Amino acid sequence: MLKDLFLLGFIGLLLLLGLKRPFIWVLAYIYIDIVAPQKIGWGLIQSFQLSLITFVAAFAGWLLLDSKVGSRFTFRQALILVLLAWCGMTTLGAEFQDSAWAKWDWVWKALIFAAFLPLTLRTKLRIEAAVTFIVLAVGTIAINGGIKTVFGGGGYGELRLLADENSGMYEGSIISTVAIATIPLALWVARHTSIFPRHWTTWAFTAGLVFACLLIPVGTSARTGLICILVLFVLLLRSVRYRFLYAGAASLAMMAAVPFLPQEYVERMETIVGFRGDQSASTRLVVWQWTIDYAKEHPLGGGFDAYRANSFTYNTVVTTGEGAMRRVEYREVTETARAYHSSYFELLGEQGYFGLAVWLLLQGLGVWHMESLRRRFRRRDGDNRSWQWGLATALQQAHLVYLVGAVFVGIAYQPFLFMLVGLQCALWSYVQRVEGREWRAKLTGKPRPSPAMA
Amino acid sequence: MVDIFTLALTHGLMAFAAWRLIQRDELDEEGEAAPRSRWAKKRGPAPAPDADS
Repeated sequence: MLKDLFLLGFIGLLLLLGLKRPFIWVLAYIYIDIVAPQKIGWGLIQSFQLSLITFVAAFAGWLLLDSKVGSRFTFRQALILVLLAWCGMTTLGAEFQDSAWAKWDWVWKALIFAAFLPLTLRTKLRIEAAVTFIVLAVGTIAINGGIKTVFGGGGYGELRLLADENSGMYEGSIISTVAIATIPLALWVARHTSIFPRHWTTWAFTAGLVFACLLIPVGTSARTGLICILVLFVLLLRSVRYRFLYAGAASLAMMAAVPFLPQEYVERMETIVGFRGDQSASTRLVVWQWTIDYAKEHPLGGGFDAYRANSFTYNTVVTTGEGAMRRVEYREVTETARAYHSSYFELLGEQGYFGLAVWLLLQGLGVWHMESLRRRFRRRDGDNRSWQWGLATALQQAHLVYLVGAVFVGIAYQPFLFMLVGLQCALWSYVQRVEGREWRAKLTGKPRPSPAMA
Repeated sequence: MVDIFTLALTHGLMAFAAWRLIQRDELDEEGEAAPRSRWAKKRGPAPAPDADS
């Protein structure tokens, strides 16, 4: 009850502050979409439609009260709307109408918000504020899970996060991927913040947050998380200033961490290599094969949750006994309605070839845009100190970590992914607008003598 | 206990951030004359006193 009042008080405070600057309502929606406070509380808070209230406030605030100067509509936002329309169409014709509409209920909100978010992020400070809120909101779940992991509350499907839920951001594999993807954003905030003092306390908090994020895959024993950590390690090699120092320190830290890892975690990670003996991993391959065949029959997609149509019988390898008594058996298993466990196959099955193509284009363009921003600012400054270079790098790293995690988890429409996409659109359009203006001012204000005139 | 500690920590920081944000004009308008961060201002030279006062 106390928790309910605390959370409601906090949301009330944000809504109140929004009266002075309506942009705060956008931040309130970001917070509610990630943390889902209505899942943390017990009674009172669940009676409010928090997500809807803040969504309407954020949108109305922008439409009626906010200046539109600098708002631009980019190609990728149009792509999001195309994807949304396509999803709406496949939902209408979905094979499983009940669950398709249930999924549509939250997917449309995530997509609309992603297309809307860049319109509000017109200034540098707003972009920074949005990143800060995403980091702190994910941090709420990650720090909580990190502390519980240290005190030994972990295990696959056992780590009790803030909410008694095993869905959305509170599902082990999803929060593992998201927590690791948040690390580069947290580091960017610590380095470039103008909201918090640039003080050792900010860095101490960030270090704790990063450590907590790294612990989430350990606490949840999600194998995807370990893969995400490795991907981030490699990506950071590209962007850190002192590469050898970083590689050496990170390897040392990893080696030092191994003895402290729980036995259960190490055993589960070992199954990454010998995945044949593991039912969860081998069903994945069968489901993926099934999805490819399904898409051939339903090239326009089967609508949300089309996986419920699947059913298969297959053999899995089971090893019993030890040493000379060791026996390897093939055991027959029949399963129905196995989820995709991969975002790419999730899209292929649910939205067909076209939906998958639009989604891939949306993601691919994001990676490419961030890369071109990195080059642009590196060329302009000659170093990597600008906030734009840092943010483009952080968003690209977060995005790539997420896209790799997405190979093993069905998180194609998660609001967190679309917030990253929204931020990328905002940064891209901000740079086009502001840098373009500066460049033009330079040309008109101080014309450079051209060689022909001299 | 852990839940309450985490909620207090991150929500406190978010409330602090929101409070600081509403006091800055460059949240909504960004121009050549956009004021700098208060933390940055503190380090800079003090503004000259008003001649009329």
